[in-house]
Amino acid sequence: MNLVTNTSRLSTEYDSVVGRVFNIQRFSTQDGPGIRTTVFLKGCPLHCAWCHNPEGLSPQTSIAYSPDKCIECGECVAACLNGCHKIGEQSVLSPSHTYERRGCRTCGSCASVCPAGAMELIGRDVSVAEVLAEVLEDKPFYAHSGGGITLSGGEPLAQIDFAVALLKAARKEGLHCCVETSGHATWDRLCQLLPLVDLFLYDYKETDPERHRQYTGKTNEAILKNLHSLHDSGAQIQLNCPVIPGFNDRDDHLAGIAALTESLPRLRAVRLLQYHPLGSDKLKRLGLPLQPGALGKLNNETIERWLRVLRQRGIHALN
Amino acid sequence: MMSSTTLRKDRMPPDVSSLLEENGLAAGWTRSKKMPVAASEQKMSYTDRVEALRNAKRAQTFEKQLVRGSMDFDDHGIVLPPDGQYRVVHSMSGSGIEINDAILTTFIPSGNHPSGEFVGARACGENFRKLLEIHPVHIEPASSLAGAYMVNFMSYRKLTWNPDVDCSALLAEHERYHTIPVIGAVQHMCPDLAIGLRLGWGGLLEQVHRGALANPDAVDFYAGLVHVILGAQDWIRRHAETASRMVTEDSPLAENLAQIAEMNARLVTAAPRSFRDACQWILWYLLIARMYNGSGGLGKLDLLLQPFYDADSKAGSLTDEEATFHLACLLVRDTAYLQLGGPDQSGKDVTNRVSYLTLEAAHQLGIATNVGVAVGKDVDRNLLHRGVEILVEDRCGTPKFLGVDNTIAGFAANGFPVELARQRAYAGCHWSALPGREYACMDVVKFSFPAILDVSLREMMADGGVSPSVAELWDRFKLHLRSAIATAARGIDFHYEHMHQNFPELVIDLLCHGPLESGVDASHGGVEFYTFGVDGAGLATAADSLSAIEEQVERNRRLSWAELIKHLDSDWAGAEGEKARKLLLGSGRFGEGHSTGDEWAVRIATEFTLAVKEQPTPRGLMMIPGIFSWVLNIQLGKKLGATPNGRHAGERISHGANPDPGFRHDGAPTALAVAVAKVQCGYGNTSPMQMDIAPTYGDTAQNVAVLEALIRGHFELGGTQINMNVVNREQILEAHNDPSRFPDLVVRVTGFSAYFSSLSPELRQLVVDRLLCD
Repeated sequence: MNLVTNTSRLSTEYDSVVGRVFNIQRFSTQDGPGIRTTVFLKGCPLHCAWCHNPEGLSPQTSIAYSPDKCIECGECVAACLNGCHKIGEQSVLSPSHTYERRGCRTCGSCASVCPAGAMELIGRDVSVAEVLAEVLEDKPFYAHSGGGITLSGGEPLAQIDFAVALLKAARKEGLHCCVETSGHATWDRLCQLLPLVDLFLYDYKETDPERHRQYTGKTNEAILKNLHSLHDSGAQIQLNCPVIPGFNDRDDHLAGIAALTESLPRLRAVRLLQYHPLGSDKLKRLGLPLQPGALGKLNNETIERWLRVLRQRGIHALN
Repeated sequence: MMSSTTLRKDRMPPDVSSLLEENGLAAGWTRSKKMPVAASEQKMSYTDRVEALRNAKRAQTFEKQLVRGSMDFDDHGIVLPPDGQYRVVHSMSGSGIEINDAILTTFIPSGNHPSGEFVGARACGENFRKLLEIHPVHIEPASSLAGAYMVNFMSYRKLTWNPDVDCSALLAEHERYHTIPVIGAVQHMCPDLAIGLRLGWGGLLEQVHRGALANPDAVDFYAGLVHVILGAQDWIRRHAETASRMVTEDSPLAENLAQIAEMNARLVTAAPRSFRDACQWILWYLLIARMYNGSGGLGKLDLLLQPFYDADSKAGSLTDEEATFHLACLLVRDTAYLQLGGPDQSGKDVTNRVSYLTLEAAHQLGIATNVGVAVGKDVDRNLLHRGVEILVEDRCGTPKFLGVDNTIAGFAANGFPVELARQRAYAGCHWSALPGREYACMDVVKFSFPAILDVSLREMMADGGVSPSVAELWDRFKLHLRSAIATAARGIDFHYEHMHQNFPELVIDLLCHGPLESGVDASHGGVEFYTFGVDGAGLATAADSLSAIEEQVERNRRLSWAELIKHLDSDWAGAEGEKARKLLLGSGRFGEGHSTGDEWAVRIATEFTLAVKEQPTPRGLMMIPGIFSWVLNIQLGKKLGATPNGRHAGERISHGANPDPGFRHDGAPTALAVAVAKVQCGYGNTSPMQMDIAPTYGDTAQNVAVLEALIRGHFELGGTQINMNVVNREQILEAHNDPSRFPDLVVRVTGFSAYFSSLSPELRQLVVDRLLCD
């Protein structure tokens, strides 16, 4: 991630607020209307079994290692104070460069010296000014497409001060603001975002509370309560519903989505997010175990059927 | 039609006079030739007829592929000559690359030089007339227009340059930096079709006569022009006669053939009267211009045809369906470059109904076309919208998009009034020119930035008196860049001085302001404005190389200068070489966004612009810089060794103003648009953005909206032209593997569009590698 260090924008009182992000993705077209830049904040209170951004779960920094990019220069060996890196004789059983995560403090020293991008520090502390300078690179495209900035993650509400500061600075630049959220936070935090967000992309993962806890680590009562409060406060909300084979691709959950939508008359839309299995490569690079959710592949017909059912009930359903 | 009372024979030079005697417009002068008859003659609607034309085009393209092999250039509408009448030769195209071509064996040119070559206006004109006089007739009954061309006149030439004027030393100087010179270049300027539409061939002949009378010293020049016109008239007349013979009572297209016969009998001499006439006249000129030296510029077609459209519509003699059909018949015959919309001299947008009908015609055809849609703050927004809809639906790389506000402001920055700048018209791959008034030789001169960098690097390393450094390298680069430009400038002056003695424009001269009046060829001072376009190529290769050297050699000291040279010379041989290559590949890339590569790209583009504009040529001719490689990045790469960005020896250098593929792992479309906008030179030439994209942003309307935003955003940031391919990713990969499975797949290769199956594997790979992955 090359952060912009020079900016011609006028500085604001929010510029120096710092947060931890793991990606700033330009040309996002699936995270709100138009062309957007999505800022992924690190750390999430949920741990969904099917999470597409597992690098965003922990608020701590982590290291991703891509052996295919390694050129065995040995810079990481010299940089690491914990002896986590070794470059030895290559054999059939073990690669020449070995990286031992157990003793790793995720300081990022190896990543900072790796010339080939094989070692990557996931999660950087950045200021609002730095992030916004990157976001503003694409401002002409937002203007012409109705796009803007989206906060995602991880969970933006988990870094509420940074999220608020970034959104305030973005609004000063006239940007359209979206926030993707699980809704699992105190109402107070959501209240702080309320006047700053043009559209909430609110996750609805599972109707049954016990299954919700099994799949995500938390029940859904607080999430639903916050959703209703947000709706009743006049917020613009799109419900994002991931459909995960073997987990929530059940008719009772579909009925739950429909019922919830009908209880929220001012909802902008319901969007069904088709699950695509997360590549094992990404998990390997992050040193994470394979997801149980990664084993299944959703049948396209399920999504089509769900869309038909929702639309027949007069619901504005998208995919 | 010319009457003898308009001439003063006693003042005419004898040989022109004899040509006029010949030009008795003898009726009944026929050449009976067998012509191909296309498609079924069942009762046909316009839709059926367009389908018939498309089927014929498909068959013609396939035949060409079989006979000529790969065609790494514009599709063109050229068709193969009749069986048994041609042979395949290796020649130089009007765009300056080597091609396999099919030439008519029934034509053998007459040389006027001891080498056997024909040079100069008279000999070129005479030979071209002979070619036109034996050129077969081509009428497809389904079309409302007659004609197709079958040969490239330049393929009959043995030499690209008149041997009496030696330029070998100058060419060798160009070669030091792999610079592609302008010497010997043809066309790449925009004719003013309005002249032809006003005068017709007969009126043009009268203009030539008047000029010949006023300039008796230019007898050879005018003789050449007369030959061109007489050859054109003969060819057109034979089509009229043939169409007349093709009319039979039971032919369902009899009425169409009768109209073709009547119309073309008139157009031998008369100016066009109707919209259909005008389309036919434009087509004749275009075919003849293409045949002569590859010229394919139409300019502002919607503006040219608007008076005819308005008059016929008002009279009730033309429906929109008919007009669209005539336009389709024009577009199917050649991939000429044309502009729709944009400001007129006063700044008012010229978008009119013909603009939209031309888009519809291209849409109905779904073939390779080079339709450019103007995009600007005062240009009809619906024109862009409709253009993008067609681009997304048809996936043929049409239309392309012209950032007119920036090219107009850029041209004015040369010191020209903005009212003049607004009159420039899009007429070639990446360029515009003043119709009939600006000799630009656009898209010819190419500087290889990586080759200049290589010369600079080697010189620095050989200089024992300096410590190698990036600063030292950059200083040398700036010097060598200027040296390359100075050589090219001398080449421009040489070309200006001598090209008319070699292969003068002639056909374009007819539709210029100046040459007919003064007797001077457009290449030699006959028009008002001379603005030689000079382009930099391989920008990303050079920028990424400098970035790699700065980061890995100088800043991080992971590689020494000596090691770098060793690995370049060995082309990254061995495990150490491969390690070094990967190390350098991981450096900041142009297009990444605020990387060292981005900084170097801007620095090179800025320095190049400065260097070109520092001074004119020694003769005082203007040069205007752009960044564009056409397809020559492949050729330029073949002669260049390994480069510090990790490129292997002989591989293509980077394409146009684009970053090299793989510049970003995500967010590439906007990053690309921002990056290319930053390397614009201004001054009216372009640095086009090539975007190859497989949009998956939602439904069709959402895809259109996103692409429109990308286009507008790029121009708002300073961009000048966008060439865009909307592709199906799986299809393009399958087509690359087996092109024969997708004979109708059309792509915008660079400034031009072509059938994917016509391209060589190397050029197909270029398109595939460019595809942006979301």
